Amino acid sequence: MSKKSNIPYVILCLVLAFGALLMCLPYLWMVISSLKSNLEIISMQPKMLPESPTFSGYEKVLTDAPFMRWFFNSLVTSVCITVGTLFTSALAGYVFAKFRFFGKSVMFIAILATMMVPFQVVMIPTYLIITKLNLVNNLSAIVLPSLVSAFGVFLCKQFIEGIPKDLSEAGRIDGAGEFRLFRSLIVPQITPVLSALGIFTFMAAWNNYLWPLIVLNEQNKMTVPLALVFFNSRHAVNYNVVMSAAVLIMIPVIAVFLIFQRHFIKGLTISGLK
Amino acid sequence: MSRTRKGALTRAETRFAVFSLTPVMLLFGLFSLIPIVWGIVLMFYEYNPLNLHSPFIGMDNFRRLLHDEVFLKSFRNTFRFVAIAIPANIVLTLSIAIGINQIRSRLWKNTFRTLFFLPVVAPIAGSAVVWTTMFNKDGMINIMLNMFGLQSVNWLGDPVTAMLSIILMTLWADIGYNIVIFMTGLDAIPDVFYEAARLDGASGLKAFRHITLPLLSRTSLFVLIMTTISYLQMFPQFKIMTNGEPRNETRVMALDIFDNAFTYMNMGYASAMAFVLLLIVLIITVLQIRLGRSGWEY
Repeated sequence: MSKKSNIPYVILCLVLAFGALLMCLPYLWMVISSLKSNLEIISMQPKMLPESPTFSGYEKVLTDAPFMRWFFNSLVTSVCITVGTLFTSALAGYVFAKFRFFGKSVMFIAILATMMVPFQVVMIPTYLIITKLNLVNNLSAIVLPSLVSAFGVFLCKQFIEGIPKDLSEAGRIDGAGEFRLFRSLIVPQITPVLSALGIFTFMAAWNNYLWPLIVLNEQNKMTVPLALVFFNSRHAVNYNVVMSAAVLIMIPVIAVFLIFQRHFIKGLTISGLK
Repeated sequence: MSRTRKGALTRAETRFAVFSLTPVMLLFGLFSLIPIVWGIVLMFYEYNPLNLHSPFIGMDNFRRLLHDEVFLKSFRNTFRFVAIAIPANIVLTLSIAIGINQIRSRLWKNTFRTLFFLPVVAPIAGSAVVWTTMFNKDGMINIMLNMFGLQSVNWLGDPVTAMLSIILMTLWADIGYNIVIFMTGLDAIPDVFYEAARLDGASGLKAFRHITLPLLSRTSLFVLIMTTISYLQMFPQFKIMTNGEPRNETRVMALDIFDNAFTYMNMGYASAMAFVLLLIVLIITVLQIRLGRSGWEY
């Protein structure tokens, strides 16, 4: 590289490093405040660093709140939603891509059209349906409405259309049943899409706040994001406790992200730009 | 191979299509189509699940909207939020993406991308709680101001700074998403264009204006539309950080709809509000696609 570009390059690196540092500050603040004691929090002279770090905040979270229960609720609902969405998206995407039948384009357009509708429009009637089904404060109220994803069906259809028809014809000559054909010939071809869709469905389900806020109000039924806010409203003064809860909730998500990072970013570009 | 017409389905195929599509379409109908239709019907009724009667009132909900001071304020707030947050988001993410793409070391490039992307995966409700304590009177931001000898600011309680604080938090929480999309878009631009430009003596800003911007217009349009749709419906940070306060300065439409529907249980009225939001989303998206298309002739 020529030497003239060196100084701007160094400046660029410094600016980016500064930006990255700013991005990390909230996490730092979260971890630091979770280690403060109650006494320090209410002192008149607020300081950045805890004088004598303690884990009393964490103790309080783990003894005072059904923390593992919340975690379990989030995990169960998110896994069910992800598995359900992957299954329905792949299956419906396959049928829409490879079969011709009456009313197909109308159905597909109906599915596409719902993607544009803000959640605010559907949340009220969906809540009324959930009430009629007697599922308020039941975890299946979280799972059921999210089992079919318009975006997922669309994504899978796009990819399956690209698979050559001869492939499934060959399977048919071999006498394979339709479902086996789908499972053994189509699904392996679209695993990159499915993994991307899976990651994003899981993340959206895990992080969802608005819908659980509407249908869950018992403390034991809450999912993690909802519980954290609920916890915050009860312990607002002792924010060391709240920050401990926040750390316990954020760390697993971030750890999972760091492990699967490559798939994550690749998935984002597949699902975003195709 | 007992096909009579080209493309006609065999019995086994038909059975498979019907069996697999029916449950999917039933779920989709119950939780997508029926709610949309029901939502549109509801807005013509004075529907409150606590009342015995829910009379049909025609356009009265919409007439009421026009005189509802709080709704009109939430309407303006939504646009204020979008008008500041979206340009800020696009400018920031595009410059950061270009910056990171210039980094030569692969390791550092990935590290930067990861650090900027990290908040996107964190639950936004959790981030909102963390930021609320940061904006507190003895939170991190005021502690830092004090270190530089500046006065503390009541960030979330002051009508002037409340919206700004939420915009800051929102930008932190999701610029990573657009950065990654822009970086992919930038990677897709072939290097030959830049080499040709350099031979012609054009580089830096000129190359950016005449190569990067036009070749990135598809990506930019996608980013703009997705960001607009999501920001118009933004809810968690408004509910958690300020709940619309102070003096309704941070009450956006999504929050007003939620409160009307689930706090006051005026579900017919809230449906009318939600329909207005739907119209806004549709109009803005169509406008953006129209305007964006005209810039694609290359």
